[in-house]
Amino acid sequence: MARNPLRGQVAVVGVGSTPYLRDAKKTYLGLALEAAIAAIKDAGVDKSEINGIVGSGRDVFSVGDATYLAVQGALGIEKTTWVLNSWLGSCFVYAAQAVATGLCDTLLLVQAYRRGAEMSQSAAGDRFRQRQAEITGAGSWRNTDLAQRWYHNGEPYAAWMARYMHDYGVSKDVFGRIAVNNRSHAARNPNAAARTPITLDDYHASREIWTPMQLLDMDVPVDAGEALVLTTAERARDLPGQAVYIDAMSLGGTQIGEFYENGLGWGQFSPWRAMEGLWERTDLTVEDADLFYAYDGFTVNALAFTEAAGFCGLGEATDLFQSSWDKEQNILRLNGGRTLMSTNGGNLSQGRTGGAGYYSEAVRQLRGDCGERQAAGARTALIGAGSFYHDPAAVLLTAEAR
Amino acid sequence: MTVSDDEVFTRYPDVLITYDNIEHYRGLLQRRLLINRCDDCGYWVYPHRPICPRCWSWSVTPTEVSGRGRVHLFTQVRQPRANDKAGQRQGSVVLIGVELAEQPGLRYLSTVDGMEFADLRHDLPVELTWIERGGLPAPAFRPAAGDDSAQPSEEAPVG
Repeated sequence: MARNPLRGQVAVVGVGSTPYLRDAKKTYLGLALEAAIAAIKDAGVDKSEINGIVGSGRDVFSVGDATYLAVQGALGIEKTTWVLNSWLGSCFVYAAQAVATGLCDTLLLVQAYRRGAEMSQSAAGDRFRQRQAEITGAGSWRNTDLAQRWYHNGEPYAAWMARYMHDYGVSKDVFGRIAVNNRSHAARNPNAAARTPITLDDYHASREIWTPMQLLDMDVPVDAGEALVLTTAERARDLPGQAVYIDAMSLGGTQIGEFYENGLGWGQFSPWRAMEGLWERTDLTVEDADLFYAYDGFTVNALAFTEAAGFCGLGEATDLFQSSWDKEQNILRLNGGRTLMSTNGGNLSQGRTGGAGYYSEAVRQLRGDCGERQAAGARTALIGAGSFYHDPAAVLLTAEAR
Repeated sequence: MTVSDDEVFTRYPDVLITYDNIEHYRGLLQRRLLINRCDDCGYWVYPHRPICPRCWSWSVTPTEVSGRGRVHLFTQVRQPRANDKAGQRQGSVVLIGVELAEQPGLRYLSTVDGMEFADLRHDLPVELTWIERGGLPAPAFRPAAGDDSAQPSEEAPVG
């Protein structure tokens, strides 16, 4: 087994989410601040205690985003000892790492997402969104090496969907069941953007965007912010609320080091490397996961994380999903029936917040705070979030420090 | 036909031309598809990088490939991004990832010529041809003529 000195040492003590809306009329910063204040209040800490921040963004300045520079100033946090911007699944790993290593003690993680001008005609008609896209180049691969890149980030995923069906001789239902599962859960989540139940037939009838990818294979663009407060297990014991603990975590790097290269194959992308790194660091196994959150920017992402986590072997998800299908509720029940998947509705139906919505949902489920959609007796949550190509993370959260 | 650095920069104003990729773009202007190849161990290095990932040799030479390969990945852009004006003008676009015959996993992103999207099949043997795109020569692939000698390659990691 690999070293894992951080097991049980880092706790999530606060969680805050904004509503998931089509148009919140807020900036990235505004969304992040709303979530941040909620998370800090939930944790029961004073802002002066926060000495680490993970902001939202892909680099230091990330123009217009809710960066640590913008967030720290807006919240009036006088000093920090560690800061970083990040996104997708990796942001949580960086946050926990900083607390575990003592670079900071109590950390605020914020992530903000908006319905970008590149994502729909109506969004493109909104002058605020259009200006953001113009200034930041969102949605276009400007300034790149055209010979090695796809036009849009969805195209390689669409092509891999087709390759998967070809190589394993399966139908598109394997993707459709993920879309239906997530929508069925979103129907029970009052903070989900898309709550109208769908069937497999609805999935197959949805508009094709990038062959063979359809509209219901794609996440729902929303305006939303998510925030978490992390601290040491020692400090967590003195705080009023119930803490959730990190058992193990891993990022997952591969040889396709740049965006959207094509050299690897199914089973070799980042989700597999991240999950391998996780399982090397804990004595728990996939069968111990009471809840499973598989990043679903596209359905094929969630499929990859499901196979990577070890719920089944390569190309075997079709059989797994058929045998795991709850016909009454139109949801997946993994691990012989007891493990629910993406209980908030995921990016596909709650709304597009990278992996941030999954971290928040997992924390709330393990605290027993999810009301009508609460999974009974959930003690362990497995999260896999990130791209095939970059920023993947595998994280195992537990209700108690082990 | 020699092509100066100035000409490469001028004709590809939207591409981040670097020391590592300029020979590839110079090759495109000459209708030659060049991929870096390690002089020491023969490994094909792609994307354009200055060393060989297998033996760390710095001696990599842009080398013309045979142009033979098989379709590994394909998709069609049915609906361009909402704010992608160039994409909107272009309309539906076919994209293919061709596994070049030179090496397993050596996949080049391109488009098709002389065939429709509906004609595409995984592992279809194809060969290089050249089309004009935006006033520039661009590599494209068409069904391989006659008896194809490109063998289907095993799935293998790069490096």
